[in-house]
Amino acid sequence: MPIWLLATTNVTWYLLPLAMVVSLVYSASRFERTEKILRRGFRLFLQILGLMFAVLALLWLFSLNL
Amino acid sequence: MSTSSPKGPYPWETANPFASGLLAWLIPGAGHFYQGRTVKGIIYLVCIWGLYFGGLRMGEGQVVYQKPKSQANGSRISLSLAAQLGVGFPTVLAFIQTKRYSSDDNRPVGYLEHPLKTDFEGILLGKGPGHADGAGRLIGTIELASSDIGVIWETRGKFVGTLDGKPIELPLSGSLELERPIAGGMRRQLRISVAPSPSEHPHLQQSIRGSIPRSFVDGFLAPPDPESLRELNFRLAKTYDLALVFTWIAGLLNVLAIWDCVQGPAYGIGDEDEKPSEAPAGTPPPPAPLEPTSPAPQESR
Repeated sequence: MPIWLLATTNVTWYLLPLAMVVSLVYSASRFERTEKILRRGFRLFLQILGLMFAVLALLWLFSLNL
Repeated sequence: MSTSSPKGPYPWETANPFASGLLAWLIPGAGHFYQGRTVKGIIYLVCIWGLYFGGLRMGEGQVVYQKPKSQANGSRISLSLAAQLGVGFPTVLAFIQTKRYSSDDNRPVGYLEHPLKTDFEGILLGKGPGHADGAGRLIGTIELASSDIGVIWETRGKFVGTLDGKPIELPLSGSLELERPIAGGMRRQLRISVAPSPSEHPHLQQSIRGSIPRSFVDGFLAPPDPESLRELNFRLAKTYDLALVFTWIAGLLNVLAIWDCVQGPAYGIGDEDEKPSEAPAGTPPPPAPLEPTSPAPQESR
């Protein structure tokens, strides 16, 4: 299945480009050097995804006995 | 922030801040291009415009608009539009489109001043004996022309295309309902009756309902009619909300880009120094490393 078709099945996939853009723009507004923008942007992207997965895991745990 | 530095002056310090800020607001990254900060300009342009126009496309062009006076309750600049205003140029176009939408000439069309021939997509609706249940999907070309028959106008024409994939030609006749020329979305709603055929049951009433293309100039960022907005919300559901969120975030992110353009990066000009470098004159020397706290080893006797 082409990757863009994943977005038609579940809107959660839109999180990936959204998180990437937010990370890059935020880092670009903090730093001036391209290499640092990309490195910090990638780090922030992973942090956002990690946080979202942590929240997902927490919600999944809470819903186990429902 | 834009503090002078031994490595300065920096592009944001030398360029005209008003021109930089205005350009950055109008088109994300344009202020950075003006200052010669090309890579950052590309990052902002691709990311912010990508998010903004991506959201616009997901919402079928009906997520950025200003409510016309007739539909506004209270302020005509909603919180949604306020967030989208961070991306200046396209959002400012929405104000112009609302002005065009609100003009007296822009009203639903009941007759055609000129013959119309265009693509049509929609459904065939029927009521009465001899009509199969369910609406068939029509794709093809529609030709219509209106004539004055005394008291009222009558529109006649034909649809040629396919009904659920099978070729069909439908004679059309009756009153025409065509959405106003200027409104949100790239399709314009149309409804007209199918002319009665001698081979069909005399009580069978059929009509076609669907849409024809709308020109880009008339549909881009224009306010949608409430009915088509309800239909869009129903059809796209969560995707419409997500499209709105994309455009909001794009607008808000551009505020950061404008700030960076006018004032420089938030962590300032120090980020180019990974390693400590020589401090500028007048700066106190860095503190000396702390002495080890563990007791010195005693001499062995």
